[in-house]
Amino acid sequence: MTLLSVNGVTKRYGGLTAVDDVSFDIVAGELVGLIGPNGSGKTTLLNILSGLATADAGEILLADIPCQRLTPEQLAHRGVMRMFQLTRVFRRMNVIDNLLVAGRALGLDHGEALTRAHALISELRLDAVAALDAGQLSGGQMKLLEFGVCFMVPPRIALLDEPFAAVHPTMKEIMGAFIRARHAKGQTFILVSHDMPVVVELCPRAICMNAGAVVIDATTREVLNDARVIEAYLGGHAA
Amino acid sequence: MSAINVDLAVNGFITGLFYALMAIGLSLIFGILKIVNFAHGEFYMVGAYAYTLVALAFGVPVWVALPIAFLVGALVGWATERTLMRPLYAGYTSWGLMRDEYAVIVTFGLSLFLINLVDKVIGPYAYRGPPLVETSRVVLGPVLISGHRLLAAGIAIAVILITAALIKWSFWGQQIRAVSQNRLGASLAGIDTAKASAIVFMLSGGLAAFAGALLSPVINASPDVGIFPAVKSYIIVVLGGMGSVPGAIVASLLLGVIESFGAVYLSYQYRDAFGLILLMLFLLFRPQGLFGEKGREV
Amino acid sequence: MTQPATPAAGAQLTTTKTTVEFRAALVAMAIVALIPLGVGNPYWLGVLIVSMYFAILAGGWNLLAGYTGQFSLAPATFAMIGAYTTGLLGTYYNVPPLLGIVAAVVVSGLVGLLLGRAVLRLVGPYLALTTLSFAEIMRLVASNTIDITRGDLGLGVAGLPIGRLAWYYLFLAVLVVLLILFYLLLRSKAGLFLQAIRDDEVAARRAGVDVVFWKTAAFTLSAAASGLAGALYAHFAELVTPELGLIAQTGLILSMAVIGGMGTLAGPLVAAFLVYVLSEWLRDVGGYQLVVFAALVVIFARFFREGLWGLAKAAVRRWRQA
Repeated sequence: MTLLSVNGVTKRYGGLTAVDDVSFDIVAGELVGLIGPNGSGKTTLLNILSGLATADAGEILLADIPCQRLTPEQLAHRGVMRMFQLTRVFRRMNVIDNLLVAGRALGLDHGEALTRAHALISELRLDAVAALDAGQLSGGQMKLLEFGVCFMVPPRIALLDEPFAAVHPTMKEIMGAFIRARHAKGQTFILVSHDMPVVVELCPRAICMNAGAVVIDATTREVLNDARVIEAYLGGHAA
Repeated sequence: MSAINVDLAVNGFITGLFYALMAIGLSLIFGILKIVNFAHGEFYMVGAYAYTLVALAFGVPVWVALPIAFLVGALVGWATERTLMRPLYAGYTSWGLMRDEYAVIVTFGLSLFLINLVDKVIGPYAYRGPPLVETSRVVLGPVLISGHRLLAAGIAIAVILITAALIKWSFWGQQIRAVSQNRLGASLAGIDTAKASAIVFMLSGGLAAFAGALLSPVINASPDVGIFPAVKSYIIVVLGGMGSVPGAIVASLLLGVIESFGAVYLSYQYRDAFGLILLMLFLLFRPQGLFGEKGREV
Repeated sequence: MTQPATPAAGAQLTTTKTTVEFRAALVAMAIVALIPLGVGNPYWLGVLIVSMYFAILAGGWNLLAGYTGQFSLAPATFAMIGAYTTGLLGTYYNVPPLLGIVAAVVVSGLVGLLLGRAVLRLVGPYLALTTLSFAEIMRLVASNTIDITRGDLGLGVAGLPIGRLAWYYLFLAVLVVLLILFYLLLRSKAGLFLQAIRDDEVAARRAGVDVVFWKTAAFTLSAAASGLAGALYAHFAELVTPELGLIAQTGLILSMAVIGGMGTLAGPLVAAFLVYVLSEWLRDVGGYQLVVFAALVVIFARFFREGLWGLAKAAVRRWRQA
């Protein structure tokens, strides 16, 4: 069953076409890698999918319902969760409260939210820092906390923007395990990453973008061996 | 154009020149630190007192008192930057207060502090600064103007031009503009951003104090004399586009002229409200100011 | 591997923190309630009544600025709006004070709602400038519409047929009711949402928080509380002037919140009493009160960002460890 359907989505900034007629479908339970050189439009696409930017043209269907005009908070309620490349947490609130915000906002009662928060804290190995304000955590711990915030109420689709960038290897392992475990239980993901070994390891399917357009959408192995993809990364006209 | 309109235009333009002396500094501070200095009016007040007191109490000639006022303002600006602005560089000052809140509180507090300190130490009474020349009326065609005001306007033009040239062409002017555009990039390129901020505060303090000194024969030095010009300069930096120096100069002249006509043709009682209403409308509907282009958010 | 019984034991939830602060504030209010037993001097009772006026304003502003991160510079303006609402209704339509006070809450809340809606997208310096302009425009209107408001002369307002002691307990009752309301609000999920918005609006939206609703709600509530304080004060002083909306008044409110500790329930309330009573006392010994408080604001903002509440918490922690 198609969960997310992107049809002809286009976004222009002045003379620059950041996203150019992009179309693809994602089936429930898939873990799709979204790759491409810097400036190829991956983050802009995620911004559109998560409601932070509006497309100039095209249509986005979430379980057959159009959702390109919805705000980020409305999309959150419909099960679209976005993780940012530059980690965003509530810096002056402690780790548990950070998790409770998402839980309560998405309709859990206090007891249920607290139970889930504790479960996520031990799964993400944040026990030792649970009482600290998020602003006092290390970069990797903040990233783990953001994972937790996104999965307080498991979303229908999780959009992860470079979760592994500049993160300590141990943290990377915890995150990888977290994604694999969720995927095994049927969680749908789009994973934007520059880290090709991670994409190969985690994602059966990959979409490569360049200069705003989709270059190829196939199995990860095919994508990485495609001449156009190699061209995009090595010679690419996208700065 | 009838005689009264010429008179209104010329006087509005001259008022605009004094506004510009204030607004350039405020705009530079916004450019480099992305904050509004709510103590800017007190730089002006310090200048008005410095000029008036050294001239009256120590008999210093006005032409020496004027640069002294500039120096005192620069000193206060420098001290402000040194003691209070440094935490702003770090983004989050701590988990106690965030950057924007800190900036508002600390400059607002400084403003209250300076006003009340002067009120207690020097007293609440107004002191009239000595005019630069005693000629009370100069007639230029249809325009009647006092000799001091005419001379002060000339000096203001010279100072504005020198400042604009320094920002555009001098070594530190270029460094300041680089930091304003991109603090991180500038510091990576080896620019001493702390020094650039210090220079901006000295220049801002000096210019505002200079304006206070020039106007002290007309608007006498008193503890809260700076509030009025400060409010004008907030309006101007918003109209001109926050952080833009050329925008601030043009907006200053524009506001001076608009107010001059507005007071006669619209409503004298509400003359101070026009600019404030403009400020609100601009921030709500055109935050980039009159001339700026809407930036793309990255 | 041994896991503790509850992971993250010792982590204090924001709700727990709020409860501790609420209890401390209640203790402080209980002390305030006992003061008239020892102090009969009407002058000092009057000083404490004005302190309570400021405590309501500082508490309301703290909800908006300290918890939600919306740094408005117009709290005194909403008090002025509330005061003029009941004053004008009483003067021109013979509306009784009680009804006038209710109307003041509604009107200032509505103006707060509209302003809150308008400034929804503005942050930091932009929000500060917009609200500052709003404050000045309102004050200019009040002082220049002389035909209606009598301008700077002020508008006479009907008093209530009660003595000073009754006024004292009326203000205290209102303050305690507001304290309980704020506590119930902040202890609920709203407390989490407001603080989340303060820390990172985009992250709050991502997590599903209805940012538009909660920001507007905070603005409205804060304005309504200020309006209530202003209306009560109008009937107490039997006079309304544009001075109620002076920026210096906002400065005083801001100092109370900063010195007490922004984003804490107890800090600004307690600090309102300390600052105002101390300022009356300093007025008698040389009049340096405003110099001292302005300096304190700068020093607290620079070095003790969690205010007196933060200092008190640190002291308690040290005492327990010793």
